[in-house]
Amino acid sequence: MLFYSFFKTLTGKEVTVELKNDLAITGILHSVDQYLNIKLNEIKVVDEAKHPHLLAVKNCFIRGSVVRYIQLPQDAVDTDLLHDATRREARNAA
Amino acid sequence: MLPLSLLRAAQGHPMLIELKNGETYNGHLVNCDTWMNVHLREVICTSKDGDRFWRIPECYIRGNTVKYMRVQEEVMDKAVEDQKKFRKHGQGRGGRGRGGRGRGSPSYRGRGGSGDRGGYRGNSNR
Amino acid sequence: MKRTASERDGGGRRETGLSAYVGSAISIITNDGRHILGTLKGFDQVQNLVIEGSRERVYSPDEGVETLELGLYLMRGDCIAVVGELDEEADAEIDLPSLKAHPIGDVLH
Repeated sequence: MLFYSFFKTLTGKEVTVELKNDLAITGILHSVDQYLNIKLNEIKVVDEAKHPHLLAVKNCFIRGSVVRYIQLPQDAVDTDLLHDATRREARNAA
Repeated sequence: MLPLSLLRAAQGHPMLIELKNGETYNGHLVNCDTWMNVHLREVICTSKDGDRFWRIPECYIRGNTVKYMRVQEEVMDKAVEDQKKFRKHGQGRGGRGRGGRGRGSPSYRGRGGSGDRGGYRGNSNR
Repeated sequence: MKRTASERDGGGRRETGLSAYVGSAISIITNDGRHILGTLKGFDQVQNLVIEGSRERVYSPDEGVETLELGLYLMRGDCIAVVGELDEEADAEIDLPSLKAHPIGDVLH
């Protein structure tokens, strides 16, 4: 649940989602669910000339299972908090 | 329209199923279950490259090997009818079945509120 | 002007699922790299989809986009990568016969 909570704090921020088919989509994070399925608004495909498939798509749902990376906005991540939350989760799991 | 309701309405109708391995199966749907396992009759199986065919009197396909199913457009009308009947006969009684968090509006929230416990509460007031 | 899903589900808890797209034109990228368009008629917890009036756009680097009519489709959720809400006005602007592109690759887990 940690990363679910973490990504919820990033809603409204711009992220770039790289998929396991090498497609990369930038957009405003609208929402996430517990499977880390992602919804993005105002999307733009990185290298649109090479992948014009989503030219007429403004918002989309990305299945969590096909996500390889998510590029985060540096200033929206509080690493100290994330450290604490990670330790707390590890402690609770033990 | 729930995918599995459509599948149920397709019983007795011809359909085409493509598996994840690229093979396609053309036949009449005899029966299906909630895992999307299906039983077909009078089947023509086509290899991935499309150049080999087999006639099979019947076959059973495990749901999780399916990529997609293509069904006749009329099946949608039948599925809608079935849904109406189902509602009228009140089989879905007991607070489920309509609106809110019933069928058709799945919620991923799970039990027990927001799931924020012990999570990461970042610099946001959400 | 049609309202987009993002405008429709404003306020309250953010809708995480596909319900905002039901009844809308959608654009799907599958795990085997196909591009399917149609109207979303329904879905379930694992993103199995019912798509009406579906058609596939076949891309190639040296010929324009070819469209295949497919009809009523039931797609399994585990074969789906992206579901986008299609802006039909913007889509009509695209000159498909002269659009050349490599197909999208397979999803490799």
